[in-house]
Amino acid sequence: MKRSGSELLKAINLRPFVESLIAVLVGFIIGAIVLLAFGYNPWSAYYWLFQGALGSTYGIASTLRYATPIMLTALTFAIGTRTGIFNIGAESSFYFGAIAAVIFTNIWDNMWFGLVMGMLFGALWALPAAVLKVYRGVHEVISTIMLNWIGWFFVLWLIVGPYANPNDPNKTLRIPVNARLPIIGYGLSIAIIIAIIAALLTYFLLWHTTMGFGMRASGINQKAARYAGMNPKMAVMWSFLIGGLLSGLGGAMKIMGEGPGYAISQGGANIYGFGFDGIGVALVGRNHPLGIILSAIFFGMLRAGTALMQAQAHVPLEIIKVIQGIIVITVAIPSLYDLVKKAIHRGAA
Amino acid sequence: MDRTPIIEMKGIVKVYPDGTKALKGVDLTVNEGEILGLLGENGAGKTTLMKILFGMLHPTSGKIFIRGKEVHFKSPSDAIAHGIGMVHQHFTLVEVFDALHNIILGMEGHGLFSKIDIEKAKEKLQKLMDELNFQVPLEIPVENLPVGVQQRVEILKMLYRDVDVIILDEPTAVLTPMEVEELFRVLRQLKAEGKTIIFISHKLNEVMELTDRVTVIRKGEVIGTVNTSEATPQLLARMMVGRDVVLRIEKPPREPGEPILRVENLKVMGDRGEIAVNGLSFDVRAGEIFGIAGVEGNGQTELIEAISGLRKVEEGKIYLQGKDITGRGPKELYELGMAHIPEDRTHMGLILDMTVTENSILGLHWRPDFQRLKGVINWSRAREHAKSLIEQFDITAPGTETPVKSLSGGNQQKLIVAREVSKEPIFIIAAQPTRGVDVASTEYIRNYLVKLRNEGKAVLLVSADLDEVIQLSDRMGVIYEGEFMGIVKPEEVNTEEIGMMMGGIRYEEIRK
Repeated sequence: MKRSGSELLKAINLRPFVESLIAVLVGFIIGAIVLLAFGYNPWSAYYWLFQGALGSTYGIASTLRYATPIMLTALTFAIGTRTGIFNIGAESSFYFGAIAAVIFTNIWDNMWFGLVMGMLFGALWALPAAVLKVYRGVHEVISTIMLNWIGWFFVLWLIVGPYANPNDPNKTLRIPVNARLPIIGYGLSIAIIIAIIAALLTYFLLWHTTMGFGMRASGINQKAARYAGMNPKMAVMWSFLIGGLLSGLGGAMKIMGEGPGYAISQGGANIYGFGFDGIGVALVGRNHPLGIILSAIFFGMLRAGTALMQAQAHVPLEIIKVIQGIIVITVAIPSLYDLVKKAIHRGAA
Repeated sequence: MDRTPIIEMKGIVKVYPDGTKALKGVDLTVNEGEILGLLGENGAGKTTLMKILFGMLHPTSGKIFIRGKEVHFKSPSDAIAHGIGMVHQHFTLVEVFDALHNIILGMEGHGLFSKIDIEKAKEKLQKLMDELNFQVPLEIPVENLPVGVQQRVEILKMLYRDVDVIILDEPTAVLTPMEVEELFRVLRQLKAEGKTIIFISHKLNEVMELTDRVTVIRKGEVIGTVNTSEATPQLLARMMVGRDVVLRIEKPPREPGEPILRVENLKVMGDRGEIAVNGLSFDVRAGEIFGIAGVEGNGQTELIEAISGLRKVEEGKIYLQGKDITGRGPKELYELGMAHIPEDRTHMGLILDMTVTENSILGLHWRPDFQRLKGVINWSRAREHAKSLIEQFDITAPGTETPVKSLSGGNQQKLIVAREVSKEPIFIIAAQPTRGVDVASTEYIRNYLVKLRNEGKAVLLVSADLDEVIQLSDRMGVIYEGEFMGIVKPEEVNTEEIGMMMGGIRYEEIRK
């Protein structure tokens, strides 16, 4: 075990980690300027942010709870990027995972059944984009955006239509008690553990298996991958399917692991936007599953700290969102720096 | 000859941001009206030096004088304003524009509404071409022009900007032998018109033939400058690599064995749906190097891709050790004992952004040696494998975990050869195995191919370098428009006959 541990360390290049860390710090500094500009005290704002996110067991539990779904959707995006596709279909696979969990746990109230069906439907919803890409050359950004909208309205219809709760028609049926994810404490379910395991498995898949090697090779250079006897088409196919599966799992666990409702709420409010947030998480995590674990927790902190930041430092939610946005943008700085460097030492070949 | 220096570069040092010292204090003098050869191996610093002269790179230290006056170039346009132009190895043409528009591009006037005076430009250009006896068709999209003519468009582009000095970076790399002749004629013509030419090359024969003086650069330093008339190829080779290069390959005679690869009546389509390989039949026997010579683009690429399972076979059969392998994919072929050194090193042979280790098992990664369980890669084994390849083939690499893009071209190619050989093949395709590779690595790779042959392997060599094919092959086929004009033993024909076959005349007709 010791041996594989050191290998794990070798495989992780620390430079992107440090760069992301610097980017996050820069984001905080710019955020402080924004706070100052609007007349808030950045010290107190950040104090309450961290107090809310990490200052209590409840805070930590909230941080991890918020981190869970975006960790999984970020993995979807990252696995796409690593295989050379810009897959933004995590959003709708997430919806399908959520609705599948509602539907199937109400057929058989078994937790594992719910999770598996969530993953299956998440993957199924990624299939059209995969087939269109591989066999017809349709660009995945176009197809996944359209599928996101189709998925959204279809799921909305399921929420208010066939699977509406007869006693509370704005919401869906509840997840049966037996099928809910066990709670660790303070509202945090085992979903976070499953998500971290999923990230580790994704890492293992991409960096330690023949299949992952083929996926990464295809992502960089399809011609070379084909020459090496790999199958780039299947690599893209698997990338979509595994990506969909991960987001589907995220959607299912969002509903099965978070009380008190254990249902999709009115207008799909509690399942909307996680796929898009995942893109930011993946970027901060440098499209690396291990980086994504950290960055998802970081994003979770920002979310969990919001309440105290609002209540104690009186910073409005909107400003907090601005700061989050600034951080995502500052993450682009390292690659921007590379570009500038190249421009200065032109043609360094 | 006029001996006034037009360009003097003094103490040029270039250190790249990653700490690589590309130039370590280079002095270079270029005389007005001469053709100066700049000779050196890949990575010697020739191109870096010229990019500095052309304002594309800035020297870390050092001075540049033009006609005795010190200059500082911020960009190529400064260099052009001082009468220095450069033609790059990779052309910078807008493919869908015709020559005329390519040439005036960037000089069309910079006001938002300024009008382009095409007629005036054309007139000026025609006058220029007449003066220099140097013609290119002006109104055909350049993508439809042969490479040699495209190169002339590039040269004309510089002349149109009134430059006195033209730098040509490895201009013959992309040309056929006939086009090379034509280029040399043009360059001599330009010299007669009083232009100064700097000719970057690593080909001894060309430098010997064309230049007045040669400056040899090795590892960022000037080794010396000689008058070409006083130089010999052996002397230049020694200056270039720092030791005598065995330009002849030792190849003991050997009786070939059984046919290993047999191609029957093979027909393959090109990318544009044309017939690229038209009914080829040949075999490659054990202990034999079968060479394919020919001008590039006569079906060689399609032939290799068909044999190696990357391109669909329209008609005909391919057998490996008597087994029909037509239509099988690369993975299966590797398992049957095929190895393939592809012609496109950077786009096919390697994944540049991946590490040396990852590249070292590309195409072998599913072998049980590199698996912990089925489907799980054993990276420590892979690393050992990479290390042993580096050691065995004397590859210069910072480490096994660095991306291969940080290796020099020669070392990248050695890595590919090493990896393919480590597949322990019985049949190996070597396509352009030494293209763009430095002299030392070239020698190494050629000798290695002979070694494989001596060990009884079948080698199919495809190369645009005619000397390479002649030197290495036991038998050679000369390909023209997807057909063999003849299959001959190199020692039985002379260069002229091979040239005629490359030009599309059948061997039987030549011998008549």
